[in-house]
Amino acid sequence: MSAALSRVLQADWFGPLAIVIVATLVIGSIEPSFLSSFNIQILLLAVAVNCVIAFSQMIIIAVGQMNLSVGAIGGLAAISFAGMMQVWGLPGPLAALAALAIGAAAGLFNGALIAATGISAFVVTLASLSVFKGINLGITRAQPFYGVPESVKAFGNTTFLGPIPWLVLPAILVVVAIMHLLNRQVLGRHILAVGGNQSAAELSGISVARTVVWTHAISGTLAALAGIMFVARLQLGQPSIGDDWLIPSFAAPVIGGAVLAGGHVSVSGTLLGVVIVAIITQALVIFRIDPFFVQVVLGFLILWAVGINRLREIRVERVLGRI
Amino acid sequence: MASPTPTELDPSSELDAVADRGPLLSRESQTLRFLLSNEFGLIVLIAIFAGVFSLFTPGFTSPFNQFTLGRTMAIDIMIGFSMMVVIVTGGLNLSVGAIGVCAAIGFGWLVETLGLPLPMALLGALALGATLGTVNGILIVRSGLHSFIITLATMSIFFGVMVFLTHAEAFRIIPPEMSAFGKMRILSYVSPLLLISIAVGVLLTCLYRLTPLGREMLAAGAKAAAAELSGVRIGRTFVICHSLSGVLAAIAATMVVARNGAAIPSMAGGLGQDWLLPAVLGPVLGGTLLTGGRVSVFGTFLGSAFVTTLTNGLLQFRVGEFWLQTWLGGLLLLAVLIDLARRRYLARGGRRMA
Repeated sequence: MSAALSRVLQADWFGPLAIVIVATLVIGSIEPSFLSSFNIQILLLAVAVNCVIAFSQMIIIAVGQMNLSVGAIGGLAAISFAGMMQVWGLPGPLAALAALAIGAAAGLFNGALIAATGISAFVVTLASLSVFKGINLGITRAQPFYGVPESVKAFGNTTFLGPIPWLVLPAILVVVAIMHLLNRQVLGRHILAVGGNQSAAELSGISVARTVVWTHAISGTLAALAGIMFVARLQLGQPSIGDDWLIPSFAAPVIGGAVLAGGHVSVSGTLLGVVIVAIITQALVIFRIDPFFVQVVLGFLILWAVGINRLREIRVERVLGRI
Repeated sequence: MASPTPTELDPSSELDAVADRGPLLSRESQTLRFLLSNEFGLIVLIAIFAGVFSLFTPGFTSPFNQFTLGRTMAIDIMIGFSMMVVIVTGGLNLSVGAIGVCAAIGFGWLVETLGLPLPMALLGALALGATLGTVNGILIVRSGLHSFIITLATMSIFFGVMVFLTHAEAFRIIPPEMSAFGKMRILSYVSPLLLISIAVGVLLTCLYRLTPLGREMLAAGAKAAAAELSGVRIGRTFVICHSLSGVLAAIAATMVVARNGAAIPSMAGGLGQDWLLPAVLGPVLGGTLLTGGRVSVFGTFLGSAFVTTLTNGLLQFRVGEFWLQTWLGGLLLLAVLIDLARRRYLARGGRRMA
């Protein structure tokens, strides 16, 4: 019994879940409108889009790297999605597929460069960030595409079963898919193995290069999906989509207990991390605090979370040392 | 997370081995080494591109263009230095842009709201940069975490606090001497800002070549454990590196203020992200190892100078300012690939001669 309890207490999702519950109760009791169905709809929308962004980064953290170009890929996919519908008159689903393919290709480009050359992911994705953003600006000349069809707009702005936005559906699909990938699929286990110890993974016959390439392709696809969801929500293809994804994309996985050196991530923890960020952002709005303050809070959240993770690591090391 | 992959380490360690045996090598191979160095490559590239630009675009060699080119170059070089001094430790400082904007706004506040005299306000801005850098350094050393995630968080905090305090308003009433300095031309071609960058470059070279502190920084960056055993106080050295990075970012920021004639919160984009690419381009093109322990101040200078020249020339060619970012990103990739090929070539050469 106590063993089970301590396992729950030590789980990645326990701390974030406790914060979510406490924060909801506290904010809800001070300001009852926090739990209104309209507010819950706004929260769910934010969580749906931001969790796809967070998973796009989390999968790269799992393999022990980083992807600075998540936002640039998302932005490029977003404007391609809107542009293809406006300029070429493609139907929504077809344009979405093409945009996902663009995201996957962008991720493949990153992954192939990193795997083939051994250059650090930081430099490669910083450079490709600039390349993708430049293509975005070159195509749009910094002007948005307004010609988004009504069906896409409706998907991004209507709800079902009361306050649940339709955009939650793709997010749920992604959560299930990522869980299945990391827990049940060979590729997922390879990703975690490579992130945990690259040379050990290589020695046990895992192709590190192939795993890295696949991981980046998945990350690019997810970033593109987030971009598409953004277009549906904003009802236009804004070239600046993705510009401010960098900090939130790292915040949620880190709050969820991801080890930045790779090999250990938590899907449920990351999801809760996204919820925490959304609740705090929303609370700042409700209490009329300067929205710019979100940046400060996000920064402190990251510091706090990496600090906690580090403490846990130290404790584990100590326990292992005693044995 | 930024753990060096084997391919990243191997060529450089081979290269170091070659460098250690330097005097034993023949004169011929030493010349070859120089010809293969980043510095020489960059000089050739700058010469080629400057030649092409001055032949094919009418505006490139005009005194005014050379002046603005030098002024932008001065700022980019300083931003590159600011990242370089942290890369020496094997770390990164993502918050260079955020620290720069904070220093610029702090400067604006000191002269406009407090009415401090110019030299005091400049000192205040540099002190603010140093303080923010020190905060980074202490957080990194105390937590034992990689500088990437710490400076990612502080970038958000520094910029957020600045915007929160100023409500994103610019300070436009800065002393006329300051804007006059930004507009000043020496011999109608050269901006005095460029001279400042050159002076700082010389000082940094002296730091790494001549002082024990600079040596300790390089040793700590190359192999922290070994340096610690030989008596280097790693933590203190790393914190100093980050403070120095903050000061250099603040210098770059005051240069931007002198150029713009105002301290504007959006001068480096959201969270100061726009400084990130120039900050990494200079050192990486110039041959500073991302894994730490090796630095080339002259290389960073040339790397940043090359990027600015190329940007200026491409704009003269009217490739379209929107596509410019794609060119710069592609350039960074190309440069890193060439550098990799060069190091592999050198490593092979070193083995053959051994």
